[in-house]
Amino acid sequence: MNRLRAWFLAPTWTANITLFLAPLAIILGYSFLTRGVYGGITSPWTAESYQRLIDPIYLAILWRSFWVAGASTALCLLLGFPLALFIARAGRLKNFYLGLVMLPFWTSFLVRTYAWMFLLRDTGLLNTFLQKLGIIHSPLPLLYNDGAVILGLVYGYLPFTVLPLYATLERLDRTLLEAAADLGAKPWATLMRVTIPLSAPGIRAGAILVFIPCLGAYLTPDLLGGGKSVMIGNLIQNQFTTARDWPFGSAVSLVLMAIVMVLLFVIARGEGEDLL
Amino acid sequence: MNRRYFLFGTLAAGGLGACSRDRRPRLNIFNWSAYIAPDTVPKFESEFGVRVRYGIYESNEEMLARVMGGNSGWDIVFPTGYIVKPLLANGLVAPIHRELLPNLSQLEPRFQHPDWDPNLQWSVPYMVTAAGIAYNRKLDPPPKAWADMWDPRLRGRMTMLDDPFDTMGASLKKLGFSVNATDSGQLDRARAEAIRQKPLLRAYLNAEARDQLVSGDVLAAHMWNTTAQQAMDSSKDVGFVYPIEGYAVYPDASVILRESKRQELAHQFINFLLRPDIAAANALTARTTTTNAGARKILPPDFRDNPTLYPAPDVVARGEWAVTLDPATQRLRDRLWTEIKAA
Amino acid sequence: MKPRGAGLAIYAVGAFLFLHLPLLILSIFSFNSSRFTVWEGFSLRWYSAALHDTQLTEAAVNSLIIAVVATLFSTVIGTLCAYGLWKRNSRPLAGSLYLSLVTPEIVTGISLLAFYQWIFRFLRVQLGMHTVILAHISFSIAYVVIVVIARLRTVDATLEEAALDLGANEWQAFRYVTLPAILPGVIAAALLAFTVSFDDYVITSLVAGVDSETLPMVIYAIARRGVNPIVNAISALIVVGFGSLVLISERLRTA
Repeated sequence: MNRLRAWFLAPTWTANITLFLAPLAIILGYSFLTRGVYGGITSPWTAESYQRLIDPIYLAILWRSFWVAGASTALCLLLGFPLALFIARAGRLKNFYLGLVMLPFWTSFLVRTYAWMFLLRDTGLLNTFLQKLGIIHSPLPLLYNDGAVILGLVYGYLPFTVLPLYATLERLDRTLLEAAADLGAKPWATLMRVTIPLSAPGIRAGAILVFIPCLGAYLTPDLLGGGKSVMIGNLIQNQFTTARDWPFGSAVSLVLMAIVMVLLFVIARGEGEDLL
Repeated sequence: MNRRYFLFGTLAAGGLGACSRDRRPRLNIFNWSAYIAPDTVPKFESEFGVRVRYGIYESNEEMLARVMGGNSGWDIVFPTGYIVKPLLANGLVAPIHRELLPNLSQLEPRFQHPDWDPNLQWSVPYMVTAAGIAYNRKLDPPPKAWADMWDPRLRGRMTMLDDPFDTMGASLKKLGFSVNATDSGQLDRARAEAIRQKPLLRAYLNAEARDQLVSGDVLAAHMWNTTAQQAMDSSKDVGFVYPIEGYAVYPDASVILRESKRQELAHQFINFLLRPDIAAANALTARTTTTNAGARKILPPDFRDNPTLYPAPDVVARGEWAVTLDPATQRLRDRLWTEIKAA
Repeated sequence: MKPRGAGLAIYAVGAFLFLHLPLLILSIFSFNSSRFTVWEGFSLRWYSAALHDTQLTEAAVNSLIIAVVATLFSTVIGTLCAYGLWKRNSRPLAGSLYLSLVTPEIVTGISLLAFYQWIFRFLRVQLGMHTVILAHISFSIAYVVIVVIARLRTVDATLEEAALDLGANEWQAFRYVTLPAILPGVIAAALLAFTVSFDDYVITSLVAGVDSETLPMVIYAIARRGVNPIVNAISALIVVGFGSLVLISERLRTA
């Protein structure tokens, strides 16, 4: 049994080591080197890149990324929970509704971000519509701000909360809810004190699946944010292109990775069993 | 089970079929978007019996990120003048063999010995762009200076270029300094000016601002003269001005990458670009200023006298060539740009 | 429970509208004859423009080829891996796969770029379709593993034991007992891998070479220059294309 299993795991190990772990190791190395005169990498080895990170401006960028990612995650969970609840109780139409939720996901993420560009700009649909109705007289600046970015992120990642929440809610033991009702609990109380706590694994999974990509997001802030603010993803991308400072970019990347791993550890701790 | 195999089989066959077998030599050219006449490449292909793969990019950084590794696959790229030195320093550039470029004499005299490459050993000038202010005529009175971009009445209706050199350059010029400033005091003051401007800013946009300028959502935009010209082509409501404090000028040049395995063919293409008729067509399409004297002569008069692309001598005198900055200054500017963006 | 049920249903309708309306509007305006957001008449000009744009069609073909090849490999590799992990977990491998799943794309992308550049010193390998395909295989495997393992958990382990008792060897037990049972899951995983690969922008844009421009890269380039109805047309085509793919896969699954 072990031999077959070894053969089965070998390709994945190979792929993982060569295409994931080794590249990360290279980046780790780069982070301790110096920027070449006009870009690129040279010796000497130094921890300077990390030292540069201890600076209010980078902490501000980190804080901003946390706040945008956090807001997006919270909204995804808030909006996704009732939807997941609805689908879990839907009976025969469950798969249909799930398909309906997932359908936007099967389209390109870029396309979904572009959809909001199309809708929110000054001559976009929303503004044209509101002006036609006479509600406003000049276009609202809906695009190029944090709100637009969060909206774009929520729209892109909502299915990622609905699925795990649905998975947990579907397996919920109905008899527990009945027991709560029998003991005199109103529906709202049941929701708050039984249903939600029991769906904690789903909430955790959903939070991870949304918060972490949002933290490292760079496309959505780029297209919907108008380049006016910097999130970690933009900072990293900037270092590898405009600034041509690979060591610093690598350092920021690894710090981001470290934060992600800490978050995973903290959030997924409660899972106990294997995460996969 | 059978259906799955069939499905995959068809897709695989289709994929293989898409790769045609073409034996002609191939040249890979990486250039700015909308920077060449539509028939230049086909003409070259038929005259020389070759195939060209033509890729485009929107910024020097995008191009640099690709070619830095030395394994990108491109033969010719078109860096802005001040990028030539970094490319050279990283060993990415192949030397130019002047004997293979008889049309070099077509270049204007001032471009025969440019600052960034006095003997044209590594690059061949292509076209020139500059940055100024494009405005919608709804804005009355129209802007004349960089200082006008700090005008409170533009709140939310003004964009600046998403480019560190350009935007810091605008601030520097407003303060009366050079766009190539290296003094940390000057740069810091420029940073403060840019941050002061941010509340008025709609967004940092490059070409994206063009449509919004035409529609009037944006009243004034920091824009390259080529983009502005494209906007003016589609609407009479758009105007362009070179600010009185001065502005940055960017020459572009073609460069052959050291990794190229088709150096001779690359030279032939560059020589082809230097032909007056070809250069003129390119300038007309891209709406830019050409570096080719022969081309200038055959451009249609209204294009040749276009004040946006071929301004009067006193305007030209206000322009400042962008140069390569030393690494320490570059570092400082990067850092300041991050601060501006994050503010 | 009734009033709450109705409230929830109303909410669900609103949520579904939120999810689908933007794409629906995008598609409707792809038929607009003008490029502005004012309806000026029905027209197929943007579709015609999209299909005649050689850069677009080449990029679409590239995306398809990359997605198909990457899906094939990652599905096979991932299914085998899921089976192996199901038999007996391997903390390091599971952990590493999970990490690859949650690593921000920009980090994965630039690390692969650095990796390829480093390899280039020894192997003279240029960036191209193969570098993109390898990158896609790498990040797709984790998705496949997740889906297939979830499916494996619903399979009765004693079935394989029974097969072994009856004289089958391990490979046969897997091939003839377990694999058919998890096939719907494998198909679902393949679909997921295909989507993730076709849709990828960040990683692909960093490791693509001269010949390997993909559809998301072209869309992004166009979108960066402003709103363009050609993108609306492409989006509509992608939605229809993938919708059909999902439907076909559902049919195959439940066949």
